[in-house]
Amino acid sequence: MIKKVFAWVDERFPLDEMIKHELTEYPVPRNLNYMWSFGFLAMFILIVQLVSGIFLAMHYKADVGMAFDSIQHIMREVNYGWLIRYLHSTGASAFFALIFIHIGRTLYYGSYRRPRELLWWTGLLLLLLLMATAFMGYLLPWGQMSFWGAQVITALFGVTPFIGESVVIWLRGDFVVGDATLTRFFALHYLFPFIICVAVAIHLVALHWVKSSNPSGITLHAKDNIPFHPYFTVKDLFGLGVFLIIFFGFVFFAPEFWIMPENNVPADPMVTPPHIVPEWYFLPFYAILRSIPDPLGGVVAMAMSILIFLAMPWLDRSNVPGGAKFRPGYRIMVYVWFVDLMVLGYVGAQAPEGIFVLLGRIATFVYFGLFLLLPFISKREERRSRVQGLPREAERLIREEQEELLRSEHYLRRENDEKELKNIRKRLEDES
Amino acid sequence: MRRLLVLLSAVAMFATAQGVMASAAGALKMVDIDSSEQARQRGAEIVVGTCMMCHSLKYIKFADLKEIGMKEEQITALLEDQDIDDRMLSLTPIEIRKESYGKVPPDLSLMAVARQKGPQHIYTLLTDYYYKSAEQEETDNHLFPGIKMPDVLAYADAESDDERAEIEAQAHDVASFLVWASDPSAESRRTIGKYVILYLIILTTLLYLLKRRVWSKLH
Ligand code: HEC
Repeated sequence: MIKKVFAWVDERFPLDEMIKHELTEYPVPRNLNYMWSFGFLAMFILIVQLVSGIFLAMHYKADVGMAFDSIQHIMREVNYGWLIRYLHSTGASAFFALIFIHIGRTLYYGSYRRPRELLWWTGLLLLLLLMATAFMGYLLPWGQMSFWGAQVITALFGVTPFIGESVVIWLRGDFVVGDATLTRFFALHYLFPFIICVAVAIHLVALHWVKSSNPSGITLHAKDNIPFHPYFTVKDLFGLGVFLIIFFGFVFFAPEFWIMPENNVPADPMVTPPHIVPEWYFLPFYAILRSIPDPLGGVVAMAMSILIFLAMPWLDRSNVPGGAKFRPGYRIMVYVWFVDLMVLGYVGAQAPEGIFVLLGRIATFVYFGLFLLLPFISKREERRSRVQGLPREAERLIREEQEELLRSEHYLRRENDEKELKNIRKRLEDES
Repeated sequence: MRRLLVLLSAVAMFATAQGVMASAAGALKMVDIDSSEQARQRGAEIVVGTCMMCHSLKYIKFADLKEIGMKEEQITALLEDQDIDDRMLSLTPIEIRKESYGKVPPDLSLMAVARQKGPQHIYTLLTDYYYKSAEQEETDNHLFPGIKMPDVLAYADAESDDERAEIEAQAHDVASFLVWASDPSAESRRTIGKYVILYLIILTTLLYLLKRRVWSKLH
């Protein structure tokens, strides 16, 4: 019976074909470690956010007079409303944590490098969309920090030359953050996740075209690739289990950990909180914003702090294959950068006084300095490894790949597949 | 190394978040707040009898007090003009409250989560009153200098350690009740949570074994 149904479908829709292509025959390097699970986890949490968000929207009122109360209505009167809300509020933090690790992995293992530039760029687009969505979502509970956070961040657009003031009013729909802002943020907060879904689809299509990178950073010999299913489905599911233990640990035992006390006070435009602090995932960028004395400069620096990642494929000029594993210079840079990001995050949470101003400036300088140094470091590093030779493991992997490429070249020549042949030759050229 | 890095980043993230939370907490008295029904019930009585002259708890209904084990008679004994299904609103008209204190006293339903270390904040606030001068005319508060709320538990008037201890016990019970009020589902949340985590640990262990088995087919 089931077979018949599948046969019926397969005649009309390439279901079997797709399962084979994307799962049971989709080749994945067998040496992937658990750092490669975070993309899947991020997708999982996206679904958690979508589902919990839709249920929240059924009870939430996007009106300045009712928004705060409607959250408490959800918490106290809706069946399992507290669960839905805490899933969503904890989910937002979890999403960023997963995405940051996912991006950190990409940087460490050099997964942004050829031919994965488009994968990298769509990923960064996803990060920006995620940030926008989180920022708008944070206004919705209409607490003090919601209000003042939105007030401060929308005001930043006032630095736009000539039309600054109009841009701010256009964003807020009013002179100050108010009912118009709340309703439009709600509308967009509901819309953006669907744009994110489309971007994820593109991200995945790009991934399945170029295939996963791997810890060595060198394309593996075919025998070292194994099908996604069952090997990585079960591995990712185990990873998911570990993640869920931590995630639900927070949801059930410390959900308030992710909610600032100030945001349990209803928004009051007449009372400014002593310090306005964004959510933890914005802190490093907020620190960069405040480290530049000039407002326009600060906003530009903050935007650049993320946009500069787009240039990674060009800034990294080394031809040494692989990620940080075979590249001592780059490895140190990545570590310094990770630490610097932590410092920035810490500074972002403090009032901009005394030592923190200086610390913030130094950390900002280091942050951008690393990007500017990368072209030189990567070039030097390449020269050095030409002289000293690559580690034996890397040599072996490259040799194996070349052998395989040569074999397929031979095969393709016989088959007269000109297009594919060109590709292979290009790759061979790059590798030598 | 990699694992260390992940761990490190997680720790740093927590530290940052903790830093945000701790930065505003001043000289709080770090008492442990017990969550027994008795403490909460005593707290509820003080809150209804004293605090609700000025404050409301608009997200709570009197009937909800059954959740902390109060009997219907106990609750009705607390009521004045209200019905048991009414929300816990102050009976003093809002204009009068505003006029007397220059501002409407804040709603207390979320107070325990609306300040850094909320329960300790409430406890400290109530037991931090003192007389500004020997004439004993005007009180002030160490935690919140210039507070517009009078010394409602008369802490500054207490003359002996016993009296002070009694007021401190009251402040503790009030904090205990307000912790419940800020999140009435907390108890059932933790109960369900235990089962969820237990289930996940078993499931994850099985998944781990399954993973090992599936991968063992590779040579
Ligand atoms: C006589 C009226 C009155 C009574 C009774 C009263 N309060 Fe207040 N309360 C106020 C006012 C007014 C404020 C606002 C203080 C300010 O912002 O200066 C306030 C503020 C507070 C705050 C917030 C302090 C802060 O950190 O911002 C808490 C907590 C509080 N009251 C708890 C209580 C508790 C608990 C009781 C009962 C034991 C109580 N109050 C009884 C008038 C009162």
